[in-house]
Amino acid sequence: MSNIAGKAYAMNAITPMRWYTAWLNRFFFWGSGRFTSFLGGLLTLSLIHYARWVIIKPNQFPRLSPDQPEEQLKYHYMFFFSNFNGSWDQYVDSFSSAISGGLDKFWIFNIKYPKSIPMLPFHRYITANQIWTDHYYNAYPMASSNDVKSARRVRDALLAFIPDVERATPQEFQDKYNRLLIGLQHDLSQMDANPVVSLAASAVERRLRREQGLSVRSS
Amino acid sequence: MANKSGNAYALTVLFPILTGLPKEAPDGMNDQTPAALVRLQLQRLAVNELSPMARVPNTYLSRLWVLDDVPYQGRPAGLEHLKSNYLVFSSNFHGELDDYLRGMWSVIELDIRAILKYCVGFDRVTDVTTFIDYVKRCQVETTFFFNGSSDEPLAVQLKSLYLKQELAKFAAANQGKSAADLQAAFKEFVARVQPANLERPTWKAGAYHLDRAVLE
Repeated sequence: MSNIAGKAYAMNAITPMRWYTAWLNRFFFWGSGRFTSFLGGLLTLSLIHYARWVIIKPNQFPRLSPDQPEEQLKYHYMFFFSNFNGSWDQYVDSFSSAISGGLDKFWIFNIKYPKSIPMLPFHRYITANQIWTDHYYNAYPMASSNDVKSARRVRDALLAFIPDVERATPQEFQDKYNRLLIGLQHDLSQMDANPVVSLAASAVERRLRREQGLSVRSS
Repeated sequence: MANKSGNAYALTVLFPILTGLPKEAPDGMNDQTPAALVRLQLQRLAVNELSPMARVPNTYLSRLWVLDDVPYQGRPAGLEHLKSNYLVFSSNFHGELDDYLRGMWSVIELDIRAILKYCVGFDRVTDVTTFIDYVKRCQVETTFFFNGSSDEPLAVQLKSLYLKQELAKFAAANQGKSAADLQAAFKEFVARVQPANLERPTWKAGAYHLDRAVLE
C-alpha cells in the first residue's frame, strides 16, 4: 500500500453533502470549467499533475446485478483525487495558505467542513476523510509536474534549434547555442529519484531497490 | 464532458465487489472477504516500471484502492454505510476511452482477470468488447477535471523528459569549450539522443532509477 510513486503523492478523500446543496457544488464546478476566475488560484499551484472531483448521487453507485444489494444512502458523496508533488503536509498547507478562498468554495457545502483556515481543523478533516491507495502508478516518477511542462519547452526549442544551426559557422553556432541555453535557463535541470519526504517512503525505496538487485544509497 | 481536459482523460470507475465468501481463494485465505482478496492482489502488484500499468499505452498516472465504506462525519451528521465494497480505479491518460481500454486489455488481460474476478458481473466479461462495456457500466462521470500538466501522448512526454535531462547534462559537461569543439560535440549529441525519434532513446514508462531509466 502506498500513496507515493516517486515524486507524486496520490490523495483520495471522500466527503458527504446534502442532496439540496450538491447541485450548488455542481454548478460551481461547471463554472470552474468555463471561467478560470472560479478556480480561485488553483492554477497557481504548479505542484499538481492532475486532480479531479467526482460528485456521486446515491443511485449512481454502480449496481450490476439484482443480487447486489442496493445502496440506501441519504447523502451525495464528493470523491477527490489528486496527484501532486511533495509531501502531504506541503500540499495541504499550500492549499490552505495559497488558495484558501478557492478551496472553501470547492468544499463549503460538504458536511462539517471546517474551512481551510485555521489549519489544524482542516488537517483533521482531510485526515479523517482520506483513504489510502493500494496501488499507485506514475509514468515519470523522477519528474515533477513542472519538469513535465518544462521538458516540453526544451524539446520544442531543441527541435527548432537543430535545423537553424545546420549550416552555421562555429562562431554562429556558439552564439545561437548560448541564446538557446539562456532561453531555457528556467527549464533545464537534472532529475533524479525523490528526496526523502518521510522515513517510511525512504525505507520502502531502499527495500524495493534491494529486491531489484540495485545499489542502495545511504540517503 | 468533464471527463476530458484537452486530450487528457480522467477515468473514474467503481467496480462493485462481490459480497459473502469467495468461491475460490488462495491458500490460507478461505475466511477472507472478496474485498480483502482484491486488496491482496493489489498489494502483490509490482511497482514503478514493473507495474502492469507501465505496459498500458498512454497512462500518465493511475491508482487502485478498495472503498470499504463512506466516512462518518460525527454528530450531528447522519451515520450511513455502503452495502457493497468497491474497487476504485482512477486513471489519467492521453486519448479516447475505447482506445485506452482496448490497449489495456491487449497487454494486461491476465492482471485484469486476477483482480476483477472478485467483482460483480465480471464473470460475463469474455473479450475486449465485453470488457469495455463492463468498465463503462461501472464508470462514474467526473464533475471537474483539473489538468495541471500536459495532455500530449505519453511517448512525447517521456522523450521530452529524456531530452531535458540529456541537454542539461550536455550543457554542464561542455562549458568553456571552443566554438568548433562545442559544435562538434553538439553534432555527436544530436546523433546520440535523436530528438525527433520518439521510440528511442527515451525514458522508460515508470522508471524510477537513473541507472536504468533510458530505453536505448
